[in-house]
Amino acid sequence: MAENGAHDSQLLKGVLSLALLRLLAERESYGYELVTRLHELGLTEVQDGSVYPALGRLERDGQVTSRLVASSSGAARKYYRPSAAGYAALAHIELAWGSLVRALEPIVSRPVPAKPKEALT
Amino acid sequence: MNRTLPMKDRLRIELVVRRLDYALDGRVPMARRKQIRNELRSNLIEAAQQVGAENAVKQLGGVRALANSYLELYRGRFDFKVGSYWAIAAYAALQALEITLLIAFQAGVATGGSHTGTYSFQFWDGFGPFSGSVSGNGSSFVMLMLSPAHVLLMFVAFVIGSSYRTVFARRRT
Repeated sequence: MAENGAHDSQLLKGVLSLALLRLLAERESYGYELVTRLHELGLTEVQDGSVYPALGRLERDGQVTSRLVASSSGAARKYYRPSAAGYAALAHIELAWGSLVRALEPIVSRPVPAKPKEALT
Repeated sequence: MNRTLPMKDRLRIELVVRRLDYALDGRVPMARRKQIRNELRSNLIEAAQQVGAENAVKQLGGVRALANSYLELYRGRFDFKVGSYWAIAAYAALQALEITLLIAFQAGVATGGSHTGTYSFQFWDGFGPFSGSVSGNGSSFVMLMLSPAHVLLMFVAFVIGSSYRTVFARRRT
């Protein structure tokens, strides 16, 4: 269980595609830039090693397109942006996410009792 | 901040890139591996310029976990690395069996009494995989290191080893 406001890595994995597509819809980015953008947003638990394959998955599924751009560091950067399918997927995931949050909110907002009630017999 | 990396840092990055590539070797198509190498190298260089090479590598997480993620994504139909392990294992098993048979054969010749001359045994004349000979007094023997049968059996092991995962995965679904 996450403590001190830290994020559960398994939960993050489930919504990483949503976060990546959303960030890419705002601005075309390359892998490490996306990692830093996620960290700046407070998602510091997200490791570089989970972002790069996630981008590969999005590209394989046709949800993002990429292009190589020469950089001053020497190696070319691979910039990603959402495709039409990516925008459609983003809309779908955002709807699903909103629906899940609305469904869970009444449950998680209740105070946790010290001890569960006895079973109904 | 954009600074030139010292040789030590570039080597550290290249080592990580090569370790990942080795894990994907024979399992992911070559063109895809090249893309993965180039993108990872580029991202690690960017990261190293910001936080140092050591932290850049640390932030990546385990190379094995990263390789597994890429394998899930891009694994080819055949796993040539596993196939080659199977072929080597098949060769080793054949040679071990051949040595055992020759030792037994030699013991049989020796206990059969004192003889002169050379005694030989072969399965599949001229094809292998076994073709041994033992001298009359049992002091020396010759065995076949490679034959057409060795090659055929190693090839069969290679094919089974490189494709069994695909077949097994298909059966499970």
